[in-house]
Amino acid sequence: MIKTIESGIPGFDELTLSEITEGGIPEKSTTLIYGPPKTGKSIFCNQFTYHGLLNLEPCLYVTTDYGLKQVQNNMMEFQWFIQNYIQNQSLYIIDGISKLSGKKIEDTTNIKSSFVRNPSDMMVKIGIGTRFVYKKSNHFRSTLDSLNTLFIFNPPQMVTRVLNAYLRRITEAGGTCIIAYTEGIINPDTETMLKSLFDNTIKLDGQNIQIKSHFEEEEEVTNYRSTYKITDKGIVVKKV
Amino acid sequence: MKKTHIPKLDDFIGGGIPEGSSILFCAVPGVECEAFGYQILNGIIEDGHKGFIFTNVSEPNDIIYEFSQYGWNLEEYLEEEKAFFVDGSSNFIGVPPNGKYSINELSQIEGIVLKAIDDVSNGVGVINNLSTLIDYLEEDKIIEILDKWNKRAKANNTILVYIFTKWGYEQKLIDTIKNSVDSVVSLTSIEERVIIGQGFMVTSASWTRPQNNMVLFFVLQPGGVKIYIPKILVTGPYNAGKSSFVKSISKKSVSVERMALEKFPTTIAMDIGHVDHNGFVADIFGTPGQERFDLMLNVLSKEAVGAFIIVDSSAPQTFARAKEMINKTHAKAIPKIIVANKQDMPGALSPEQIREAMKLDKDIPIIPTTITENIGVEEALDALLKLLYGDTK
Amino acid sequence: MIPCIESGIPGFDELTRSDSGTGGIPENSSTLIYGPSKTGKSIFNYQFTYQGLSHEEQCLYITTDQSLKQLEGNMFDFQIPIEKYIADKTLYVIDTTSDISQGMQTKTETIVSSHINNPTDIMVKVGSGVKYICKNNQRFRSVLDSTTTLLAYNDSMMILRVLKAYLMRVNEAGGTPIITYTENSADSMIETMLKSMVDNIIKLDGKTLTVEAMKSIGKRSSKYQITKQGIIL
Repeated sequence: MIKTIESGIPGFDELTLSEITEGGIPEKSTTLIYGPPKTGKSIFCNQFTYHGLLNLEPCLYVTTDYGLKQVQNNMMEFQWFIQNYIQNQSLYIIDGISKLSGKKIEDTTNIKSSFVRNPSDMMVKIGIGTRFVYKKSNHFRSTLDSLNTLFIFNPPQMVTRVLNAYLRRITEAGGTCIIAYTEGIINPDTETMLKSLFDNTIKLDGQNIQIKSHFEEEEEVTNYRSTYKITDKGIVVKKV
Repeated sequence: MKKTHIPKLDDFIGGGIPEGSSILFCAVPGVECEAFGYQILNGIIEDGHKGFIFTNVSEPNDIIYEFSQYGWNLEEYLEEEKAFFVDGSSNFIGVPPNGKYSINELSQIEGIVLKAIDDVSNGVGVINNLSTLIDYLEEDKIIEILDKWNKRAKANNTILVYIFTKWGYEQKLIDTIKNSVDSVVSLTSIEERVIIGQGFMVTSASWTRPQNNMVLFFVLQPGGVKIYIPKILVTGPYNAGKSSFVKSISKKSVSVERMALEKFPTTIAMDIGHVDHNGFVADIFGTPGQERFDLMLNVLSKEAVGAFIIVDSSAPQTFARAKEMINKTHAKAIPKIIVANKQDMPGALSPEQIREAMKLDKDIPIIPTTITENIGVEEALDALLKLLYGDTK
Repeated sequence: MIPCIESGIPGFDELTRSDSGTGGIPENSSTLIYGPSKTGKSIFNYQFTYQGLSHEEQCLYITTDQSLKQLEGNMFDFQIPIEKYIADKTLYVIDTTSDISQGMQTKTETIVSSHINNPTDIMVKVGSGVKYICKNNQRFRSVLDSTTTLLAYNDSMMILRVLKAYLMRVNEAGGTPIITYTENSADSMIETMLKSMVDNIIKLDGKTLTVEAMKSIGKRSSKYQITKQGIIL
């Protein structure tokens, strides 16, 4: 039986229930959540993060599209209040973009600022952050929202390398991570290669959710499909 | 030869970097590397020479801020024209450039850096970060540029420091880059599921046979690159002066990675201190002297890399106890210094007398001290550092 | 419940009314207005700007196709009296259509010129503009018309970086920015990237206005017309 963690998205865990998995996101796996712009990928990531925090699973949150303040506002729209988790240090945030807004972020123990243009520095902070959340609990989550801004500020090969290093770091420590990406912003070959780096992919196209999971024991890729909605409580997957 | 001002590095490479040579800091992703370049630049400028920083990942203002966090005044050097920037990052993100030279197009990089190398004759140039250049230029072109820069540096006696993050490039490319420079320092991570430490090691130097010990380091703000000694034990019989010794060598202002500390329960009365001395930082643990705590000594002393055994020179009746503690704390197996304290007391035995009385090996240094008057404390510290890392001067 | 600001386009706020009551453009969020050329995107911007100005909300207007004079003329055609707001300095214009031969001169405190070929300078002027506006009060609007021209005159990836910085700056300062884009004027990857950088996407195709994405509401659309008073849904 493949161990999983609760996704936090109503309907998702039921959809992915099978003979070999308990439903949810397989523990210690890597997941790419992708699709056209504005289909709820960020919301999914935040929902996943928040649910983990509720379950006492700390999270290493790397934000490159939105600054820290925007992340907090985005979460607040769905009543996901993260201030407490920042305070009790179960949420570790690496803000790679606020620098562009001219705002200076005061680094604290669990809030670090970096810049997407300096991937070496981002990896240093990811290393420190991973150690930090790992010491809190070896059941931890990690979210990277999203690859888009990394692609704006770095050549695609560099982003791929950084992604590889990040995935390796998280899986080495036994965490479960989700990474968001907007389909269609880089050339198709690179995109295909990108998808192949992950254990699972989740596609949100605005109406349909399609989940592909590549389990070690199985040769074939497992497919799940359903529809979903964005409600004022977040993403809800329709029970099939 | 120019000193790098990185603790121990100069010793490993035969005293320093010869003028006109190139040195590559090759870091595994996740390991701090920029500080090495900045620290070398800061040191060489302080020694009276000029320097430049070519940056394509950080804006000049951010670098100025970072320097100030380390406790170095880059702003002053810039004003006094002892240092300047080759700004290869601002135009990229659409911000006005800030520096003596700025790069608008890729094709300019080669020529402008050559100019910068000329400008800092007999000084230093820092290239941060080489990895960012690689994707924009073909492999052959990169090597060609490196060769040109290194040749020009030799002609000008300028030292070039390259910061390079070893992403998942093809080994062939990495090797070619390493072979293009005179010296390579590898920066690696020590991992156990997560990064628990960082180390550097000289893997090549064209002018000398490098010492290739791996040395743990931290990058502190303020302070810069410091060698890290994870755990030094301070033990010895009750009332020999352990607490005073820990207090005497510790500086309160240094903040060192507290990972080691968190492994220990705080219920045991123990002295904990942090040392920042000659480029080394260390966590010090003083063990309790009373016999009822002996069961803990075993546990507490695991992973210690060095030890001070404090004895009361005027109380030979405690020597047997001292020896017992040496055995119990695993201090047998690690480098140690006997601190012959209370030399000011009447009847205090000399180090040689103590050696005879305790039947100690000739290899174990015995340093006479009077801790309450701060006599001999620094010598004891230097003696242990010498045992751990060789001559520290 | 996200506070919204009135769009200034009759029918739009009703179209975008959420369950919690209000409609319009969510405050402090970024919006992309795109569609084929000549479908009223610029007109949307005029109305949006005027709605703010006439209610004491300043506006930072970056124009790439029309010079200030042309802008004044066009707005006037839709009965929007812009001179008042230029005079009382609540409208801050960055005119990037200035002739190279003229050089870059700052004409007044709130009317500055830059050049389409110099995004770095445009961003500097944006920085000053935001700073000027923020002196007075928090709420303000911003329009960048259009990204297509910027993309045409410069390296696309560089413009994406600049746009990201622009959106982040305005957001940080409490403003509500709109950027426009002519569909298919740049390659599809750039277009997709543009759409992913904003919070809300509105498409004007000549007949129908479609809200393809907006915070807290789903897809909505309505027919629209361009009248003498501007766009009406």
